Amino acid sequence: MINIIKAFINKVLRSLFKKKKNIRLGLYGPPNGGKTTLANRICKDWLGEDMGTVSNIAHETREIQIKEQISIKSKGKELTFNLVDTPGIATKIDYEDFVKAGLKEKQAKQRAKEATKGVVDAIKWLDEMDTVIIILDATKDPYTQVNITIVGNLQARNIPVLIVANKSDLKKADVKKVQAAYPQYNVIGISAKFGNNIDKFYEGLFALAG
Amino acid sequence: MPHQCVRCNTFYEDGAQELLKGCSCSGKLFFYIKKEKLDEMKKITEGIKLTDKEKEQIEQDVFDLVGSEIDKDQPVILDLEAIKVLRPGKYELDLVHLFKKEPLIFKIEDGKYMIDLIQSFQKFSKK
Repeated sequence: MINIIKAFINKVLRSLFKKKKNIRLGLYGPPNGGKTTLANRICKDWLGEDMGTVSNIAHETREIQIKEQISIKSKGKELTFNLVDTPGIATKIDYEDFVKAGLKEKQAKQRAKEATKGVVDAIKWLDEMDTVIIILDATKDPYTQVNITIVGNLQARNIPVLIVANKSDLKKADVKKVQAAYPQYNVIGISAKFGNNIDKFYEGLFALAG
Repeated sequence: MPHQCVRCNTFYEDGAQELLKGCSCSGKLFFYIKKEKLDEMKKITEGIKLTDKEKEQIEQDVFDLVGSEIDKDQPVILDLEAIKVLRPGKYELDLVHLFKKEPLIFKIEDGKYMIDLIQSFQKFSKK
């Protein structure tokens, strides 16, 4: 009997410890919303280094990128997680868009193929996430098929979500419009590039995952 | 259920010899197409004229997308409803289908291969 109790306590402790150690924080969203820029901001703020390269051409991140054991602190609390940066999710990937952006045809086609595989990969990884931050471009229409599909699927999977309306430094940005589109979620307007309102973002992260 | 050769676009009925031995054009990769989508697919196929080089490229790209675990010498049936390859480098993705986690590739009854992309990705993620 004592052994059974011991085993039970061990199991509970292990599962608690394991869960805490393995919090996976996923960055999701359409291409060029600023997922990697935000990942870099988080890594720079807390680790002093970048996570990935960013580009004006869409689908720069085409493979899952993971940064392990990032500890952030806010108001005396600490939160440790593994940050997972994912490829942008899209319904249409056309190499000609990359050619227009200055890539050569061969490179553009390769990028399109990798980006397609990246979308499948990003969706597959969704089940591995404990918490997700959806990064939307606040200068763009929030009511797109991609955005609605991502938000709906996270809701169906009961994964806690924080929505970030990025690029709030730009004139065209409309954070209120993003909030109006997804009223059931906490939407925080930030500029990942310049760090505007980033403290609010960290607070939101603690409220969600802490 | 109909199948379509990725290389030459010929349609084959379920159980056709070509699905086991390979198409007469020597292609070994077939798209699996649901009956209700057959007419739609035929229209799309007729509307897009691809050169032999483009067809070869699409075949290669599909192999790359599916993963390197496929033996290229064996016929393989692909259920790529979730991903449409319109031309080399032009893709349309059905997110709802992808999010449902339905396998992208089915094996035919008599075939030799079972390729489940979701499974392959899981293996990949554990490495």
